[in-house]
Amino acid sequence: MDLLGRGLRPEGSQIGTTGRSGAGAGRRAGVVPGAPTPWSSGGATVAAGRSRVVSLGAMALDTGTPPALELRGLTKRYDSGLLALEDLDLTVPAGEFFGLLGPNGAGKTTLISAVCNLIRTTAGEIRVFGEDHRTPAARREIGLAEQDVNLDRFLDVEETLVYHGGYYGMGRVEARRRAQEMMDVFELRGKAKVRAPQLSGGMRRRLLLARALMHEPRLVILDEPTAGVDYELRLELWRYIRRLHSTGTTIVLTTHYLEEAEELCEDIALIRGGRLIARDSAANLRVAYGAASLADVYVKAMAS
Amino acid sequence: MSAPETALAARASFGRRTLHAHRGLLWLAAREVLRVLKLWIQTIAAPVLSSFLFIVVFGLSLGGRIKQIGGVDYDVFIVPGLVTMAMVQAAYANNSSSVFQARFDRYIHDILAAPMRSWEVNLGLSLGGVVRALLIGLALLALALPTTGAPIHHPAELVLAVALALVLFASLGVVVGIYAETWDHHTFVQNIVILPLTFLGGVFYSVDVLPSPWRELSHANPIFYLINAVRYGFLGTSDVSVALSLGVTAALAVLVVAWSSWLFATGRRLKP
Repeated sequence: MDLLGRGLRPEGSQIGTTGRSGAGAGRRAGVVPGAPTPWSSGGATVAAGRSRVVSLGAMALDTGTPPALELRGLTKRYDSGLLALEDLDLTVPAGEFFGLLGPNGAGKTTLISAVCNLIRTTAGEIRVFGEDHRTPAARREIGLAEQDVNLDRFLDVEETLVYHGGYYGMGRVEARRRAQEMMDVFELRGKAKVRAPQLSGGMRRRLLLARALMHEPRLVILDEPTAGVDYELRLELWRYIRRLHSTGTTIVLTTHYLEEAEELCEDIALIRGGRLIARDSAANLRVAYGAASLADVYVKAMAS
Repeated sequence: MSAPETALAARASFGRRTLHAHRGLLWLAAREVLRVLKLWIQTIAAPVLSSFLFIVVFGLSLGGRIKQIGGVDYDVFIVPGLVTMAMVQAAYANNSSSVFQARFDRYIHDILAAPMRSWEVNLGLSLGGVVRALLIGLALLALALPTTGAPIHHPAELVLAVALALVLFASLGVVVGIYAETWDHHTFVQNIVILPLTFLGGVFYSVDVLPSPWRELSHANPIFYLINAVRYGFLGTSDVSVALSLGVTAALAVLVVAWSSWLFATGRRLKP
């Protein structure tokens, strides 16, 4: 049983996808691998050095659904003077599995924090499914699993999930029911009464992901969800994330693992110095950069 | 359905809608109270015990050797100040430590990202300290009133004074929790600012017995007014007028609430 998304669906069924979400273009029905996707133009890959990437978000136009995420002219300068994001434009269509790659300090976490209301932006506009990101309606649509394990030390596993649901407007009965489902999906039921600091590293990661999905968001943001986890757990997390995407949930993933981005993401953006320097499917990026692998693309893009 | 029934149904419906609209606030407040209850030995039992020991040691053992103050036995005279001190310290310490811990461990992100309005987050985080202080106050009353025979002459003024005190110090705790960079900052305000001002505010004495200029200087201590407002509620006596005491306390409460509201509304210090 698939309990990750809205409504209960048998595992393996998909909404708007052809199968498991994965690398490159063409994972959606009717899309030829390697060809431009319906939601990005053939020329969407942007040469290194340009500050803006214009993604058409045509899928959103096709379906009438607003893009899951729209950033326009997003700029963030910290009080220290550090310019973390500079006039950044980005559109992530609803239902997409989007990857954001870049070195440490490139602006990935700042971008995510801006979307999730965790930092004050300097300029620009952020819309989540058409709503200003500061409104309760927009915030309800976002689920965030941060890079750092930031679990409430005073709450046990079940309370962590139930209270999170409550913060997002769930009633007690509904939150408890959903928490049971999440604990089943993420195999945490045996640890329901254990506080977060007593959990193993892998269980904390799973709890972070379960918490992010607790309120059934339509846009899930995963900030390096597999950083520092062993290979077995990484594969397990990939499985959870794929199932989530198969239910129609939009996913924004940041990662340092290029094979992870290639394996999971339909569309990939490269970010450096607070600017997007390229954005397309893994296949199209390889072609655009004349590279044999995404790793080569990454090296060339970051060096240019 | 009759008109009264219709009105009743409409009121019930409005209540349900209001509750639903502010569920996040209720859950956040419940989380803060849960934290207090999970740590009850530290948050409730310890301050009740230490304050009651003050009453027993200072009041009952020394009370026989100290003449009445303002026509009130000494063991009775110190009860309002000690109850006030325990409550305001609890309201402050609870919120400053809870907010600082949430920032330090970054689980405050789960709250800041949630679809709650800034005033709801502010209020939710403040209520833990209020509930903790009320539990301590009630426990101390249950112990101190039978032990000392302290009366409650003006319950309305007492309730108002306690309410203002809790709003003031609960909000101050939230503000300090937001500004603190280390645990030292949180304890500095408690031990170097609040505790001395409380002791010098007339918990154990009437400032009227102080020589000049200490008597006049005591009037510059804001906690002096708070203690006197609470003392008036209990004993019906005060070093200054109760209206002035309540007015000063209310003004300070408004100031600190405005400060914390500004922090949450703008995201200053909470959001880089």
